[in-house]
Parts: sequence; structure tokens; C-alpha cells
Amino acid sequence: MGNLYVALGAMLQRLDMDYVIPPPTSQRTLALGVRHSPEGLCIPFKLTLGNLIEAAELGADTWLMPAGYGICRLGYYAKTQEQILQDIGYGHVNVVGIGVSQDKLSGLLRTVKSLSNNASWLKIISAFRFGLSKMSAMDRLERLTQKVRAVELAKGTASALLVQGVKEIDHADDYRTLKKVEKDYAEQLGQVPVDEQIKPLVVGVIGEFYVVLEPFSSFDIESELGKLGVEVRRSTFISGWTKLSYLFNPFAAKEKDRIHRAAMPYLKRDVGGDGWESVGEKVLHAGSYDGIVHLAPFTCMPEIIARNIMPRTKEDIPVLTVLCDEQMAKTGLVTRLEAFVDLLARRRRRDYNR
Amino acid sequence: MFKVGIPRALLYYQYYPMWQVFFEELGAGVVISPTTTPAVLAAGSSRLVADTCLPAKVFIGHVISLVGKCDCIFIPAIRSVKNDVYNCSKFLGLPDMTRATVPESPPILDIDVDINRGKRQLYQAIYRLGRHFTWNPVKIKRAALTAWQTYQRHRQTMAGEKLMLSQVMEAREAGQRPPAKPEPYRATIAVIGHPYILFDVYVNHRIVRRLEQANIRVVTPEMLTVSELTAATARMVGGAYWTYEEEIVGAGGHYLQNTVDGVIGVMAFGCGPDSLMMDMVDRRAARLKSTPFMSITLDEHTAEAGLVTRLEAFTDMIQRRKKGR
Repeated sequence: MGNLYVALGAMLQRLDMDYVIPPPTSQRTLALGVRHSPEGLCIPFKLTLGNLIEAAELGADTWLMPAGYGICRLGYYAKTQEQILQDIGYGHVNVVGIGVSQDKLSGLLRTVKSLSNNASWLKIISAFRFGLSKMSAMDRLERLTQKVRAVELAKGTASALLVQGVKEIDHADDYRTLKKVEKDYAEQLGQVPVDEQIKPLVVGVIGEFYVVLEPFSSFDIESELGKLGVEVRRSTFISGWTKLSYLFNPFAAKEKDRIHRAAMPYLKRDVGGDGWESVGEKVLHAGSYDGIVHLAPFTCMPEIIARNIMPRTKEDIPVLTVLCDEQMAKTGLVTRLEAFVDLLARRRRRDYNR
Repeated sequence: MFKVGIPRALLYYQYYPMWQVFFEELGAGVVISPTTTPAVLAAGSSRLVADTCLPAKVFIGHVISLVGKCDCIFIPAIRSVKNDVYNCSKFLGLPDMTRATVPESPPILDIDVDINRGKRQLYQAIYRLGRHFTWNPVKIKRAALTAWQTYQRHRQTMAGEKLMLSQVMEAREAGQRPPAKPEPYRATIAVIGHPYILFDVYVNHRIVRRLEQANIRVVTPEMLTVSELTAATARMVGGAYWTYEEEIVGAGGHYLQNTVDGVIGVMAFGCGPDSLMMDMVDRRAARLKSTPFMSITLDEHTAEAGLVTRLEAFTDMIQRRKKGR
């Protein structure tokens, strides 16, 4: 999912575990996943299944998948994917579910411990910390890129820098190199020639975390928006999503709280997934953004609830809902984005003239 | 008299005896919306985004049909009825979704049912619900107990006497004992699915009735005892993850290995939990190779003729299979 592999790879390497990183999510991944999935499932299931199959082809025999109750259908995925993999001939595989809700961080750490031939706790924790700092380094670069993309003179410069940066972060082996790479690329991003005159439109990207974080599933919607001269903001980052990051960054928890409080008048309970957050973010950012792009996988239950409630909130802001599934086509998406951005620009002019 | 409206959809089919008794014990009247019609479904669909699941559209349609006929509408948010299980988002978001999509609806009475948070929380939730009708805690407790006992008896009747929910419901509304089933039958087919799909005859195009007319005995999940369901679920997946998983995975697993000639799984398009659970049953059937399994997905466009053809083909196949043995 997105750049998560970099952080996990770093962690597993530090634990001397043998790991396989499947090839980046591609059209083939999607085709494999779709072929073997039940039709009614969401794109995250299909893509992760595709990833698992591709990993199995490379010889992986154990997978870590989030599981446990309290989170939409995701908790059931490990069970189903194991069955599917066995049915298509990977009988020796073992999908290890990590109960993200009932066993919390300690459970996750214990699962890792048992898989790593009982490495010492010290080693596990330090590996975790290293993985997390890689995550936050990548997120920082990503945030900078979102800003630069909208106003850069030569379109695509920032995105290319980000790709480079992530690659180097992946190669960094210790904290010092990591810090240096992070600083280096942050400076480079700061020096990209930009048009100082433009005050770009601000669009928030909200929605279900997998499709928000995995560019493949939304045709890299953020770069597309950047090309249209839009500054993208989002509060879902990998480092913010993994609940353990709360340990290291108490502000992330506070931000979530703020979003939940904003949603309260319209949706009183957690409906699993990110439905609650979607409603909350719309309400919260209605005043500060020009528009919102809401990404949701087709048939995602929590997002359906959110989409039914969102149009009725008192706080008003244009929302473009993009449903991600295997039928989506890039041209259609770009056309919709162009129309949406035009609408936002006109709205801003109107408000300015008033 | 203060009237509580209950939409005839979703969990109504599961719990209606319990809810009705509870409110009546507290001195309120209960209004249940009429059965689903094309107009009800159309009204519901018009308020929701297109990919909302069929049962939720039906539910909103029923809420709309209750507007003006009652003083409040009872919509519980049921998260779990057992430890460590979880319910579909739609049940959790139901009260808020209704509030957002049917602004003209009378006030909504909601109650959080979540066993994971402990019994105390549940009792407090029931008390808060009862407080709308009476200040007297003893009365609320008595009403809740009576309701619970009614529900238990209702479940035992169905499991013990092998009665289908629809038979019990019709008998209850007519005030008689359920009729005995005609014998003999050509074959026995288990129809599995959530009660709000299996017993909403408009939604499922009278699938049970059609099978019975073809002289087939139909068995359904609620005819099994709780222990049979739990055992089968444990065999299939280790333990339930969804609140209503036993109706599908448990019943499917049980019937696939027990004395029926075929199993039909009925689900609604866009149902998140079912898309996974039916797949589990499907895979188990494919591995066992002992009992034929067919899964039917319903949506608001399901054409009756297509469904009938599939049912006929399935029953013919079972017939031939029986002869061949």
C-alpha cells in the first residue's frame, strides 16, 4: 500500500527476517486479484490479493494481514485470502492475521516476535522505530510535494523528486543517512522554481485509507490534481494511520479526535473503516478548503454510509466523490477532475467579486 | 396513545416479537409498516446513493411509509450481540443515515447494543430507551425481561418445531397456530440468507413459495438451534466475525453436510459481509463435492423470469441427481 513497503522492509531487514517485496502494484496485480476475488468485494481486497499472489510467485510463504473485529470487512480478509490462495494452488501458505483492535500494539509486536525466531525485544523495538522514522521522512517529503506540485513551473518536477527521494530513503541503512536524505530532498523540493503569483486552489483528499494512500487505485489522483494547479491537502498519511504512531506522535490522536467531534452532529458512532472520518473531515474543512475529493472503493460499506450523510450537512463545500474499482478509466477521471476544478475556480471568483 | 413505529425491514425480521412486547409492556402502541411494495422500494432508492445495498433501500422506504403514522421510529444501532464480533457498518449507521436521508421522519429512538462494552452498558442503554415511556425503572426492567423471554421462546419454537420464520409470523398475525407442512415432498432444499432477504417476499420474488409450489421442502437457518449454528461456524471459519455470520456460514456449513439435497444462498447485491460469507460457503461446497450449492444475488433489477429459470434448473438437477443414486 503506497510507500508502506519501504518502512516494513526496513523493519524486517533489521530483524534479519527473510522477506519478499512483491513488485509494485500494476495492471497485472489488478488482473490477478480480480480474477480470483468474489465480485462484490472492494478494490483494496482485490489489489492486496493480487499482491499476495505475486509475492507467492516469488516464494513467500507467510503474510501479515490486519485482522480482527471492529474494522469493516477488512478483519475477514485474512481468512478469505488464505482460502483463495489455497484453492489456486498455494497450499503451503500461511496468512497471519494481526488483530489490530483486540491485541493492540503488544499483540502486533508479539506476532512479529514469534515470526522472527524470537529476536530480542530490544531488537524488535528498535526495528520498529527505524521503520517509523522512514515512514515519517517519506510523509514529510510527500507533504512538501503536494504544495510544490500546484505551483511549479515545469510540471512533474516535484513528483519526480519524490520518487527519487523515496528510493533513496529505501536504501538508507542508518539514521544518519536517513536524516541526510530527508534534509537533502526537502531542500531540493524547496528550490523547485515556482510561480509566486498563483494562489492555488486548495482541495482536500479524504476517504478510505487504502485508496487514498495507494496511488495505483486512484490513478495517482494527487499528481493529476497537481497538474491542474491544485494544492492537495490530506490528513490521512501512512504514519498517521498506523495506530502505533500515536505512541510517538500524540498530535495525530488529537487530530482524529477533532475530526470525530466535527462528525458528531451527523454521525454519532464509529461505523468501521473511515466513514466517520470522512463525514468529520467534510464538516471540519468546509470553511478552509475550496473543495473536497472523496475517494471510496466501490461497495465500501462505511463510505456508503458517509456518502449518504455527507450531502445533508449544514457546512457546505463542493465534494467530488470518486468511486475506485477495476472498471475506472483514467480519461474519465481526468475529465471529471477538470470539470470539478473549473467549478471551484468559478466559485472562488464569484466569492472574490462579491 | 404514544405510538412507536417499527419499519418492516432489516432487523425487524430478527427481533420483532421482542421489540413489540417491550414497547407494549411499557404502555406504548406499536405501528409496523406494511409489507414491501414497489413503491416502498422506489421511495427508498430515491433517497440513497445508488450503490447502497438493497435491504437498506427497503428500510428507508419503510421509514418513509411510516411518516405521519407514528410519534417516533425505533431504529437500534446493533454493533454486537456476542463478544468479539462486529456488525456491518450499515446497522451501525442506520439511525444517523435515516436522520440524514429522511428529514421529515418523526424523532428516532435509537439504542446502542454492544456486548463488547459489557452488560452494564447494555442495561443502561435499555434503561435510557425505557425512560422515554416511564420513569419507573422496575417497570422497564420487567418489560425488558418479558421481551427477552418472548424472544427466547420465539427462537425455540422455530428451532424446536422446525418452523420457518414466515410461518410463525403469519400465524402470529392471524392469531393461530402455524399449519402443518404438506407431505410428501420431492426433495429438501436449504435456503440460506439473512431473514430480511428470505422473508421479504417482494425482495426475493417469493423464492421460498416457488420452491414449495414445486413440491420441495424448504429449510432455513432459523430452524437450527444456536448450538448447531455455533458448531458449524466453528468448523467452517473458527469463530464468527460478523454479528449475523451464523445465519450464513453456520447454516451453510451445517446444511452442506446434513441431509439436504441442495443449498441455495440468497444475498443482496452490495452486501459487504455476504460477499465474503457466501464465498466461504461456496468454497466449502466446492471442496466437499457432496451437496450442490447455488448462490443468487438480488438487486432491484432482478428479473423474475431469470430467477425462476435458475430455480427450475437447480431443482431439475437435484431431481436427476437423486434418481441417479
